[in-house]
Amino acid sequence: MDSVDDMLDDPAIHAYLHRLVGEEGIDLLRKFPKEGEHSDEDLAAETGINLNSVRHSLYTLYEKRLAEYHRIKNNETGWLTYLWQIRIDRIYDAIREDLEDILDKLERRARYEEENDFYICKACGILLPFAKAMDSEFKCPECKDPITHFDNDTLLAALKQRIQAIRDSIGHAESS
Amino acid sequence: MADPEAEALDLIKSRPEGILQSKLWKELGVDSRKCSRIVKKLEEDGLIDRIESKKGSTKTYLLKAKTSTMPVDPSCLLAGDELIPCISCDLECIVEECHPLMDWMYQLAIVQHTEK
Repeated sequence: MDSVDDMLDDPAIHAYLHRLVGEEGIDLLRKFPKEGEHSDEDLAAETGINLNSVRHSLYTLYEKRLAEYHRIKNNETGWLTYLWQIRIDRIYDAIREDLEDILDKLERRARYEEENDFYICKACGILLPFAKAMDSEFKCPECKDPITHFDNDTLLAALKQRIQAIRDSIGHAESS
Repeated sequence: MADPEAEALDLIKSRPEGILQSKLWKELGVDSRKCSRIVKKLEEDGLIDRIESKKGSTKTYLLKAKTSTMPVDPSCLLAGDELIPCISCDLECIVEECHPLMDWMYQLAIVQHTEK
């Protein structure tokens, strides 16, 4: 099984985890003991990361099934302790789930790009589909400069290429 | 996929060397008949291999996750070094008008143009 450090060497996995848990979360992942299960308080003490930050990272990872816990009850005090372990081996499953969702979004965006003509204000950068451009009499709604046709072919081609790469990666046939 | 199957697959995947079916049902906390049904479904879905194995005089099966459950390519999330904004996004999702996505698409077009 790949170690956390190996995983984090992949720039995409690093960026993905960084978006989820931030710099301190990455730090926690790197410093998380290789063996066993650990309470949030022990993790905070061992890693020197603020307890709230440790908890926040663990819950965020848990939501993606990248961390799991089991609870033990102290029979004398009735207190519950949560013992955590990292399941970095599930990272590809987590990314797969996100990619399924992203594929749907990118397909919708590609359809929109394909089905519309766009106009742009070169001064403000505002982009309008044809109907809205007509409503504003082909003038920028902000600065009133004339707007010109925007060729989105390059954007659309790049988007379609990535959609295909995602389909290939998650094993989806093209949806009709 | 139903939950017991997902749980079983997850457990099988976590053992790269495979796991005996006779151990799997104990670890899952289900009875052996239920485990057989789960394993049959996973095998039919092409997610695991079931290899005959002898444990003493008893016949059991070694279960391994198939490599066809190949990891996805995480680089699909990147345009250059920009991560797609959809990950952990709190904005209301109007995909047609999403500015962060538009910026990412521009980056994608630039990267793909440069690669050509």
